[in-house]
Amino acid sequence: MQYGQVTAYIPDFLRGALLSLEIATLAFLVGLLLGMAAATARACGPVPLRLLVGAYVGFFTNTPQLVQIFFLFFALPEFGLLISPYSCVLLGMTLNAGAYLTEICRAGFASLRQAELEAAETLGFSRFQTVYYVIAPHVVRALYPALSNHAIIMTLGTSMAAIFGVEELTGRALEANSRTFRSLEIFSIVAGIYIVLTIVLSLGLWAVGRFLFRVKAKAF
Amino acid sequence: MSAWDILRDEAPRFFTYWNMVFLLRAAGNTLALSLTGCAAGYAAGFVIATLRLDRVNPLAPLRWLLTLLVEALRRIPFLILLLSVFFAFQLSGAKAELFVIAATAVALRMSALAAENIRAGLESIHRTQWEAALVMNFSALGTLTRIVLPQAWRVILPPSTVHTLSMIKETSLAVQIGFLELTSAARTLNQRGFSALLCYGTVLLLYFVISWSIGRFGRWLEARLATRAATAAPPAAARLAAG
Repeated sequence: MQYGQVTAYIPDFLRGALLSLEIATLAFLVGLLLGMAAATARACGPVPLRLLVGAYVGFFTNTPQLVQIFFLFFALPEFGLLISPYSCVLLGMTLNAGAYLTEICRAGFASLRQAELEAAETLGFSRFQTVYYVIAPHVVRALYPALSNHAIIMTLGTSMAAIFGVEELTGRALEANSRTFRSLEIFSIVAGIYIVLTIVLSLGLWAVGRFLFRVKAKAF
Repeated sequence: MSAWDILRDEAPRFFTYWNMVFLLRAAGNTLALSLTGCAAGYAAGFVIATLRLDRVNPLAPLRWLLTLLVEALRRIPFLILLLSVFFAFQLSGAKAELFVIAATAVALRMSALAAENIRAGLESIHRTQWEAALVMNFSALGTLTRIVLPQAWRVILPPSTVHTLSMIKETSLAVQIGFLELTSAARTLNQRGFSALLCYGTVLLLYFVISWSIGRFGRWLEARLATRAATAAPPAAARLAAG
């Protein structure tokens, strides 16, 4: 092991890690909107829409994200749609996240009990009050651990963007590897960065959940 | 060109006997890789989870080390793990087949997931069960295999299916080291000039069939286990009421 040559790349890796975080955050947030919309549609939409959402979730959760992105990456140009690798990865990850988050949101909505809604009605809550004081706190607390877990999984999942030439953490590692051939040194450093990154993210998400939403869950 | 045009033009050339054999072989490789890796990973994960129990392994530093190992392995992207294993094999000079390299990476990842999962299962069993077994002079391993595991199994099984399915999907990354599984079969066919829509579309469907049927099997197994447990041991409250 000779780390001398490789340490010069560490600032470069850290910039890559920021890009990884950026991709994961964007895909997660848009995916969450998509998931909430789809879960709502599945819970109380018309039957054709429910079937459509079911097919979307079933298809995207049962196939690998990598192949979904490959499909977008190579098949879209056949229809004359040329998009950059970065947007392609982002689109693929968002669609994939949307499907998983639909499932998670659905479980959260299902944990809501009829009695809670009836109690709100008895107390004369308006629709807004019901959502704000009864539904939202319950659903957020029920969903939060699963959501933050998926955010971590997605952060790790961004590493496949490297295959499409996006210069995020893994992409930069592959590039440094092809320049220096110090494979194990580079990959051990990058693995360490990923570990620190996800631990910081776990702790951050735990703190947000604990102090903003009063979620009672363990950080790990 | 619309999707329909592509399909009409290329489908007869694409769905030939040899292409199908090629794809099915690749699907077999995907399955073999993930199942071998998962089985080995589960065995390793079981050992790790057992060694993390203070009743079985009294050496605290070893338990901490295993906890750190599991935590680290879960937080490394599979692609990085796979490439590290690949280059480690290369540097050590051992002549290993790509299958062995990929399966090692799958097993490493799976061992961490399985260890966490099995630990959660073991912890779901109340400590009085251990104490009762101790009173009846069971050894630690005897308690584990005869008393705790048969009850923990129901907690362990559902996440196992999920993890196996996620590993099947993760093996698609083995395309990066050149192992011939479904994804690299699609890439090869695409490079031979077939439309990406057909190649990747077909492979997506194959993945779907594999993953969906294993998921179904897992749910069937869970349901069977649940009914068996319910008939074998009626809840204590029911027995009290009957007596």
